Amino acid sequence: MATSTTSQRGGLNSTALALIPIAIAINVVLGQLVQNVLKLPIYLDSIGTVLVGILLGPLAGAITGLIANVIWGFTLAPSALPFAAVAAVIGVIAGYAGQYGAPRRWWLMALFGILTGIVAAAISAPIAAYVFGGVTGAGTDVLVATFQNLGASVLGASFAQGAVSDPLDKTITYLIVWAIVIALPRRLIARFGNLRQQ
Amino acid sequence: MQRTGLFLERVGFLQRLNPLTKLTGALLLIGAAFLLPTPLAGAALLVLALMPLAVASAVLRSFVDVLLKTLLPVILSLLLVQGLFFPGADPATIMLGPFAFRRAGLEFALTTASRLLIVAGAPLLIFQTTHPIILVQALTERGMPRSIGYILLVALQLIPAMSERAAGVAEAQRARGLETEGGLLQRARGVLPLVSPLIVGALVDAEERAMAIESRAFTAPGRKTWLHDVPDPPVERSARLVMWLALGALIVWRAAVAVV
Repeated sequence: MATSTTSQRGGLNSTALALIPIAIAINVVLGQLVQNVLKLPIYLDSIGTVLVGILLGPLAGAITGLIANVIWGFTLAPSALPFAAVAAVIGVIAGYAGQYGAPRRWWLMALFGILTGIVAAAISAPIAAYVFGGVTGAGTDVLVATFQNLGASVLGASFAQGAVSDPLDKTITYLIVWAIVIALPRRLIARFGNLRQQ
Repeated sequence: MQRTGLFLERVGFLQRLNPLTKLTGALLLIGAAFLLPTPLAGAALLVLALMPLAVASAVLRSFVDVLLKTLLPVILSLLLVQGLFFPGADPATIMLGPFAFRRAGLEFALTTASRLLIVAGAPLLIFQTTHPIILVQALTERGMPRSIGYILLVALQLIPAMSERAAGVAEAQRARGLETEGGLLQRARGVLPLVSPLIVGALVDAEERAMAIESRAFTAPGRKTWLHDVPDPPVERSARLVMWLALGALIVWRAAVAVV
């Protein structure tokens, strides 16, 4: 049996330990707020993941995404669990976006958002197709039906659906994170460490 | 802890087991649902394994309730989308009223739905019968980093608090004239005024929390002791070994069948 030892286990210091749970709660709460109060046709359930990735790096981003989905499974929908890997990848990409210094320009953030959306669609498609048979019970199922009717396979239609919904959602997510990061005091940004300053 | 997600305070069979045993069992059931060649293996496993376990753990009603609420929309959508638009070559159809359902599509939908029952049902049963603290402790004793356990538990506690704060922000902004109803564009304009106060406030909190973690020596090296004891009797260790062997055998058998 392993003993828990140093402060750097898993590469997380106390700032990361404090920020990650808050980011997870932001994911869940904003995901609900956007769907229930504003009733918009996007998810916005990865703002916390992208924020942590940009401020603290790829590893912290991955952990945030992974645990956020495990918590969705814990509290609301056990069917969110299979998509935990996708959430982790979203966090990793955000970590590299931060190291690259993407928040210096809004359009760099938008580019990373589109890229993240395409990658997310490509990874979720096999999970959606093989575990869920292409549908998730959400409004986007109409898109899956349309693409299958146009002659796509279950996997192809799942990817096409993701390729339509995800880049838009992730671009908006990145732009929101951009608006937040440029408003942060420099002292806080320096404390978080991953973000490259110009 | 006020709210602990899906966990229900009951006394029964699964509540007495070590979380690792339950996790191994869930893995075996999910593996079986995908690997067994019988049609509707998942549905059979639900009735023969998960539901008796739920009865023995006194959570049957809420287990079935949550499972249906989660999966019913998915399964209905699955039957409609794949029944009507399945991209196979098989032309056989079944007429239901004015709709021509494709047989291959319905079969695909039923197989997937039956697997979903286990993919969602097995974790659900674990979460309903395991207190998060016990689950995290059992995993940490087995080598999961303590920081991951801390993140899991704090996030679970923070969600209700943050929900309240979000509701507060929404009310405050409405009082200042923010429209949260109306056309799509109007509602989209509400995103930033709702989101940014919540996040900036949370980031300031994070700094204070980091100091609290440091001052309580959470990241200090050395062995830590536990408040509770999670029992792991020899019977359960053997049971886990048997389940791992069964899963291995299932995989080897399926691979052999596929080769021959």
